[in-house]
Amino acid sequence: MSNPDELLRIEGIRKSFPGVVALDGVDFDLRRGEVHVLLGENGAGKSTLIKMLSGAYTPDAGRILAGGEEVRIHGAQDSERLGIATIYQEFNLVPDLTVAENIFLGRQPRRFGMIDRKRMEADAEVLLKRVGVNVSPRARVRELGIARLQMVEIAKALSLDARVLIMDEPTAVLTSEEVEKLFVIVRQLRADGVGIVFITHHLEEIAALGDRVTVIRDGKSVGQVPAATPQDELVRLMVGRSIEQQYPRERTETGAALLSVQGLTRDGVFHDVSFEVHAGEVVGIAGLVGAGRTEVVRAVFGADPYDKGAVKVSGTALRRHDVGAALAAGLGLVPEDRKGQGLVLDASVEENLGLVTLRQATRAGIVDLRGQHAAAERIAGQLGVRMAGLGQHVRTLSGGNQQKVVIGKWLLADTRVLILDEPTRGIDVGAKVEIYQLINELTAAGAAVLMISSDLPEVLGMSDRVLVMAQGRIAGELAADEATQDSVMALAVSTPGTPASPTTSLTPTTTDKEAGRGH
Amino acid sequence: MATDTLKSSGTGAGGAAGVRRLLLDNGALTALIVLVIAMSALSGDFLTTDNLLNVGVQAAVTAILAFGATFVIVAAGIDLSVGSVAALSATVLAWSATSHGVPVFLAVVLAVATGVAAGLVNGFLIAYGKLPPFIATLAMLSVGRGLALVISAGSPIAFPGSVSHLGDTLGGWLPVPVLVMVLMGLIAAFVLGRTYIGRSMYAIGGNEEAARLSGLRVNKQKLAIYALSGLFAAVAGVVLAARLSSAQPQAANGYELDAIAAVVIGGASLAGGTGKASGTLIGALILAVLRNGLNLLNVSAFWQQVVIGVVIALAVLLDTVRRKAGATPLAAGTGGNKGRQAGTYALAAVVTVALVAATSLLHTGSSSATPKFGLSLSTLNNPFFVQIRAGAQAEARKQGVDLTVTDAQNDASQQANQLQNFTSSGLGAIIVNPVDSDAASNSVKAADKAGIPVIAVDRGVNNATTATLVASDNVTGGELAAKTLAQKLGGQGKIVILQGQAGTSAARERAQGFANGLKAYPGIQVVAQQPADFDRTKGLDVMSNLLQAHPDVQGVIAANDEMALGAIKALGSKAGSSVSVIGFDGTPDGLTAVKNGTLYASVAQQPSQLGKIAVDNALKAVKDQKLPSAIKVPVKVVTKDNVAGFTG
Repeated sequence: MSNPDELLRIEGIRKSFPGVVALDGVDFDLRRGEVHVLLGENGAGKSTLIKMLSGAYTPDAGRILAGGEEVRIHGAQDSERLGIATIYQEFNLVPDLTVAENIFLGRQPRRFGMIDRKRMEADAEVLLKRVGVNVSPRARVRELGIARLQMVEIAKALSLDARVLIMDEPTAVLTSEEVEKLFVIVRQLRADGVGIVFITHHLEEIAALGDRVTVIRDGKSVGQVPAATPQDELVRLMVGRSIEQQYPRERTETGAALLSVQGLTRDGVFHDVSFEVHAGEVVGIAGLVGAGRTEVVRAVFGADPYDKGAVKVSGTALRRHDVGAALAAGLGLVPEDRKGQGLVLDASVEENLGLVTLRQATRAGIVDLRGQHAAAERIAGQLGVRMAGLGQHVRTLSGGNQQKVVIGKWLLADTRVLILDEPTRGIDVGAKVEIYQLINELTAAGAAVLMISSDLPEVLGMSDRVLVMAQGRIAGELAADEATQDSVMALAVSTPGTPASPTTSLTPTTTDKEAGRGH
Repeated sequence: MATDTLKSSGTGAGGAAGVRRLLLDNGALTALIVLVIAMSALSGDFLTTDNLLNVGVQAAVTAILAFGATFVIVAAGIDLSVGSVAALSATVLAWSATSHGVPVFLAVVLAVATGVAAGLVNGFLIAYGKLPPFIATLAMLSVGRGLALVISAGSPIAFPGSVSHLGDTLGGWLPVPVLVMVLMGLIAAFVLGRTYIGRSMYAIGGNEEAARLSGLRVNKQKLAIYALSGLFAAVAGVVLAARLSSAQPQAANGYELDAIAAVVIGGASLAGGTGKASGTLIGALILAVLRNGLNLLNVSAFWQQVVIGVVIALAVLLDTVRRKAGATPLAAGTGGNKGRQAGTYALAAVVTVALVAATSLLHTGSSSATPKFGLSLSTLNNPFFVQIRAGAQAEARKQGVDLTVTDAQNDASQQANQLQNFTSSGLGAIIVNPVDSDAASNSVKAADKAGIPVIAVDRGVNNATTATLVASDNVTGGELAAKTLAQKLGGQGKIVILQGQAGTSAARERAQGFANGLKAYPGIQVVAQQPADFDRTKGLDVMSNLLQAHPDVQGVIAANDEMALGAIKALGSKAGSSVSVIGFDGTPDGLTAVKNGTLYASVAQQPSQLGKIAVDNALKAVKDQKLPSAIKVPVKVVTKDNVAGFTG
């Protein structure tokens, strides 16, 4: 076991929590200068595994070796000493400190007991240049978009001289252009000899970036394969069965326009947005993060106000900024931030499913709990929500099952126009397909679906029509057969008003169009 | 995230397992049971029907307030105003019915409407004004208390008799407050569990944005939630006043914190989204059992507060540990359960041991042969009452009496609880220093019924028979103070009067005495009269403020020495030279100031004498000796000339 290139080896790791065995015999190893992809469905145990490496958890059994020697990682200090840096999905940044302060948090260079701001900012500048991001070290983190936050996290990891960099689904929140930029940086780090553990749900990224893949299923490592392994084979390893089709869209006859949006404008955010969604149709909205997609659908749903324009459902105009009116008209919204806006995390599956229909189920102030229970039971069964029971808190469900609950509450309300904002973000392949099937069932039943997604293959695979937004305007509309990755991206980076030819190919990484808005 | 539990819950839970599960799932219930067992083991008086009903009565007001607070806390808010709103509602009831002849039925409606209105204002400020709940209700706390004082002009108002039945018993044994508590608890449980607004509370508290995006009208719901809290506060206020037969503007002071503690002990999270009416009831019962038990065990009044604080922290800690251990849900039947149980049991053991150790340590041992007396003091925040205690304790030791002393912290209802505890533990005699003369009447009547002689000390009890009243005469004392100052100023000059705490009899009587005494001196001009609540710090602040308006003042009459000493601080070098200050009580600090010349005179009572004489007379009463209806302990004016010979 004295391979000089080996940075890290994990043998037979076990970890159980009260009531569940999270990891049950996982083997894994990482070499200098490689990208080792960890692949597995949500709940397979990937997050638990990386938390062992970052010191958040300690294993119940098994060994961790660093550079050939057995080590114990009991906390963040231990992992830092071993040169292991972790970038989680939820960033560990302090919003009101500057970029430089965040990079050197707790390790600020000091002079006479005072923080040496000049040196700190100069050092930060070097690191930021190395990750290729154009941001001032003096900028406040709050003002940065999500892609830049990630770059700051990477710069922070570099400042620690990390030899092992763990990235937990770094691409989940990025647009494809940003993903390309990230890959350039990761490849650069690999060339510098850093070992990278990369977690992703996007199979196409594996071939593009990875060297080796370890697949984890139900807490066990089920195989180690080269990154060039065909996607079908990877899916089969991951879910334990083969999935016929990744995007099983079944087109249906389109009917009358259910939702029509005319000239919707909120000054400075989105302008003159008009579109229609017909019965039986899936309309995708593509665009870069910050293009105003979420803002538009929230305004359509009445969650936020708008300044000009009109929203009509089946020809009837909706009152501005009135969720109740949208609801009554049959509109539903599955928000982008599932945990923050879609679910009451510490309430049960049953309560979450009954949230939208709570008012309908109320007679004289009293809720028909039995009816609510029956309805929840029916829809949970129909959606195949994997849970211990209707009383389980949704916090403890996996991402895919959580999303099914959010969609389920709208299905119970007989929603006729369902707006999905990033419906499959952070969801594994198996659950994704189930959600796509749901979309098919909805449209087959005559409902309309409006879907925002930053996952281009998903938009292309599932939409009947694609609207592309750029800088708060609709930059163009593409029919399913003319929409390709290139044509969508061309529109997404165009400046609306000056019509861009859909066939123009573009070179990624040259423009930074992410409009600098965080959340 | 990575721990997706798909296992089904444990099967085959038999009866015993069911109970164990119930206890494990509810840390507060475990804590309550541990507490009850510990108290029964330590005191033979605890586990009697009478005493347990007492505990129920004593929990009632806090519980009703806490039910209202549960709504707010489940919805991730906070309501600090419930105590004030309770006092305001009760005051409105008494004021409209007693002082203005409004029919009692209408007065009750008016009182409830007051509570609801206060809640609606809270809700409006929070939902539409976007004020943080803490701030909005903090403002209402002050406004409510102020309005109660304005309406009542600072004095307690007698409660209409028909409503006072709410404080009585049904069939001679079942206390009505307990019934009201149970009824309000059922209503709260129903609202939380079954109604639209109740389910909305959980959704809003769990995730306000998700609730809004699911079509809940969050702002309207908030308005209703705070209105409900106000409604419950009004009911609590009426029950409280009914128990005391008197609406006190200063009632329920600080009860909001008890209510919040009860809710949190009951398992709710201040972050919102969780909480149950049953848990809240248990929380309120824990607080009541603790106070009752510590009274019975004769734990020092000061230590009681320490013990209560520790138990609140431990009870919540128990729940947190339990929840942490069970963070992965539905773990029944697997290995992890062991650790969780061990944690719960370990903490329960720690609570028991700590409690038993603390109480037995603080518990001054007693034997059954010696006569047992109880002394309930209005407060121990003031040296005067500390001296009463010292005098009584010294005499009790001399006579071989086992004396239990409690501190009502200037709260009439807490005093009612303590007197009730005395009565039910069958003491030989009770000595009471009432917080309020009207409010103590019901409790004293109950003691009379049980055949226990009651001696009033310092302040009398209205509408009830006491064996005797041992007091110095406040009115006469007030007259003496006025006369002394007027003579010192030669019958001419501007003076200010610092009044005592609004709503107390001592404050009223002394003010009456000052007014009587000054009638003979038309040349004395009272330029200002302000309350400073018998408190030295407030005396300093109020005097500083008054000096801004009246820099030329020549004399100060303070209704006690503490305020006089505060005024002297404010006056600085003027005190004793250009301004003469007169205090009341003759406390050690006051007498020192007289010696130093900064305090011109103090109308000295002899507090340790009051305590001593009270104990003596209690002994006589037990031996069925005839007592005069009142025993006057002389007051005298202490100046620099005679201070040397004076001892309290």
